[in-house]
Amino acid sequence: MSDNYDVIVIGAGHNGLVCANILAKKNRKVLICEARENCGGLLEESITNFVPQIPLSVSSSLGGLQVKYKAKSSIALSESGQHIRLVGNQHIDHKVISGFSSKDADRYVEFHDKMSSFSKALGSFMMASPPRIMNNTFSDYFKLFKLGMNVRMLGKKKFNEFARMIGLNIADELEDNFENTLLQGLIAHDAVLGSNLGPRSPGSLINLLFRMATHDNSIFGGIYEIDGGSKAFVDTLLDISNKNKVEIKTSSSVKRCITENDKAIGVELLNGEKIYAKKIISNADPRSTYFSLLGTENLDTDVKRRIKHHRSKGKVAKLSLSLNKQPEFINCDKDDLESRMVIAPSIDYIEEAFNPSKFDKLSMEPILEMKFKNSDKSNPALDIQVQYASYGTQEGWDNIKDNYVDAVIKLIEKYAPDIQSCIETKAIVTPDDIEKNFHVTGGHWHHGEIQIDQLFMLRPIPGASQYRTHLDGLYMCGAGTHPGGGLTGIPGRNAAQAILEDA
Amino acid sequence: MNRDLRFTALKKTPFHSRTSLASRTNKYYNWNGFTVPTEYSTTELEYTAARNGTSVMDLTPMCKYMINGSDANRFVDYLVTRDLSQMEDNTVAYIIWCNEDGKVMDDGTIFKFSNTKFMLCCAVKIYNWLHDSAEGFDVSCEDATDTTAALAIQGPTSCSTLKNYGADDLELLKPFAMKQYNINGYDVLISRTGFTGDLGYELWTNPANAENMWDSIMEAGKELKIRPFGMYALEMTRIEAGFIQTNTDFMAAEDSLRPVRMRSPYEIGMGWLVHLNKESYFVGKRALKKEKETGNSERCLVGLDIDGDKPAVGSVIYNEKKEDIGIVTAAMWSPTMKRNVALASLKRPYGIKIKENIFAEIYHPEELEYKKIWAKCKVVKRQFFSPERRNKVPADLYE
Repeated sequence: MSDNYDVIVIGAGHNGLVCANILAKKNRKVLICEARENCGGLLEESITNFVPQIPLSVSSSLGGLQVKYKAKSSIALSESGQHIRLVGNQHIDHKVISGFSSKDADRYVEFHDKMSSFSKALGSFMMASPPRIMNNTFSDYFKLFKLGMNVRMLGKKKFNEFARMIGLNIADELEDNFENTLLQGLIAHDAVLGSNLGPRSPGSLINLLFRMATHDNSIFGGIYEIDGGSKAFVDTLLDISNKNKVEIKTSSSVKRCITENDKAIGVELLNGEKIYAKKIISNADPRSTYFSLLGTENLDTDVKRRIKHHRSKGKVAKLSLSLNKQPEFINCDKDDLESRMVIAPSIDYIEEAFNPSKFDKLSMEPILEMKFKNSDKSNPALDIQVQYASYGTQEGWDNIKDNYVDAVIKLIEKYAPDIQSCIETKAIVTPDDIEKNFHVTGGHWHHGEIQIDQLFMLRPIPGASQYRTHLDGLYMCGAGTHPGGGLTGIPGRNAAQAILEDA
Repeated sequence: MNRDLRFTALKKTPFHSRTSLASRTNKYYNWNGFTVPTEYSTTELEYTAARNGTSVMDLTPMCKYMINGSDANRFVDYLVTRDLSQMEDNTVAYIIWCNEDGKVMDDGTIFKFSNTKFMLCCAVKIYNWLHDSAEGFDVSCEDATDTTAALAIQGPTSCSTLKNYGADDLELLKPFAMKQYNINGYDVLISRTGFTGDLGYELWTNPANAENMWDSIMEAGKELKIRPFGMYALEMTRIEAGFIQTNTDFMAAEDSLRPVRMRSPYEIGMGWLVHLNKESYFVGKRALKKEKETGNSERCLVGLDIDGDKPAVGSVIYNEKKEDIGIVTAAMWSPTMKRNVALASLKRPYGIKIKENIFAEIYHPEELEYKKIWAKCKVVKRQFFSPERRNKVPADLYE
């Protein structure tokens, strides 16, 4: 049996594409098997409205990436029309906030500095493969030591503050600092976005730090829209793939990983076709990778337990409204409609929206992050991220989908009274749909919660934290690995490095 | 809630009415949540019965799990290190199982009724482990500890006793085989297994049959030197047989707080039960393969023949330079063998490459004073006692 390929990548999500291309540039013969007709994975449907910029270290290892980003400002909508507009520039934001509360404005600068220094300390750690303490090697300990030093170098006072904040909930910290509820709501929204946490859940603060580390170490900066939409991004990656002679097989679901002597040697497609390679990389989520590709009969009981307890219930739905004209948002000008519009008016509002989701139920007053498309053209559209739209909701998505969409529109009506009359079509993609259509267990953006027990060397599970699975020759490069989802390409890049190291 | 309700008394086994009647010492202990006798009269007498007549022991507290389902065959093969794929129906196999690090969790016996039905017997409760391991297999695991009454009938006259009880043709049953009987109107499963290293059987039945079975067997063995025997006597017989006991000779992986205390099969003399060439995966295979390849097993469990007649209970073992090289896990003066024997966990290469010039430091109590004995030891086969009658088919019969 000959190895037809050096590497097979399962899944053509952006991390799979990044990983494949880095390997192809190192003269590996690479094949990507994608279950869907199109490449790009979650990008294809633009599941997320806004993205961080791909780090330079990733784009340079691809030989440069021709993607144009548009920086976005954020606007926290208020029913009263007293919106807050923030651009991610401390100087300007200070001025804006002082219009509401001079105390908050000063505190904001302090708060931002503090958070920013913490996220910078995490920064290098975010980019690299996490250490593996079980290995007992010097370089692994050194990595951990370096992170400790990064934080310690901030000074004793800040070090203590970091230690205090690491398990804290974002609500306490915000209420300690700010009096304006709208500002509190906006920051809290970003802290819980995409996660299974409310602002009062312990650990929600580190989520914000994690987000900041990939968003230019800034609270409201580093939020971008890809010029030409996510399709443009996928096309760019496909162009590069073409150049690097990466073969891509679409509509090719992988059934399982073929093993020999407890080593991955190939994949079997759903249609029975078998393809062999030296290394297999899974862009799928950890549960699918372990339970479907590797197979439960090839796993130790302890590993099964960890995978089974891996938390990956998606909480965000995507609602797309196509409009016949631009609706009037109260007290919003053209620039406002160009920005990231957030409906999360207070911490309590978010917490109320979160509460039912603890019981796998839906709140009819969810939190929203919105983006207008083609706002200057005749066919505008509104893309809305709806959170806490729980995966596997008790009511059953099939039964409640229509009511839920109506509730969301009604909610927007409070801010844009004429929205009803502008809507032509509406389409919602729930976490259940994401699971079904994109083969992501739980329909989670990040292929698994970003929480302290599933971060760094614990991501996705202990023993598999360095992009290597428990099966020799099978790797992971998806968002389920460190540092998680978001359009960063870091997991893909790190996985490629792990493979090159092992070769 | 009433706070007193949090405390539940130890359970009584279905034989309790009989075992308590037979007990002259009223000495009981807690075995797996059940109250069972440690000795009935004197341990020496009970031991002698086990080696010369028939001994009866209440085995009910032993953990028993029924494994049913279309994947049962594949599942047990995945669960344990031994290759069970060729196991025949109505046979029993001695097995161990490991965690993902290849550390032994427990040992036990597996009873195969058919490809879809097994029974697992062991010392440590593992329902959760079975349940979580079964993920992905079409099997159901059920704890049958409370719903199965079990007796061990051991000793040279045990076959005759059971034949008198109604187990026809029992002498033809091979070691590690089992047979289903219907005796006195009840189903009784008899397996030729045991923990004494002698001819012996274990009987498995419905708890409703327990008292009848006890009475009938006692009656059947009246002329064959039958006697109930407790845990202390069993401990003597099992040391002579060289059988290991979880949490005595090694720490169960799930029970040890310190990772360094966990033992791989190779470190407790159970390497022969690890079939790395088994085609399918089994829990701990990757780790065990690595250990085998790198040869980094740190310890071994061996039999020791010790000079003198003072049992080396709890002794530390030294080399000739008086360096600590291990510890005795079980020791006794063997009345049958007339030898001073022990099981000891040693640091390699002692016990494997170096078998001579090792010493036990024995503290022998003599009326409130300790006599310190420096006794020379020899590493020997762990199976000190293994009479021919143990595996003989047809089994010896007596009148």
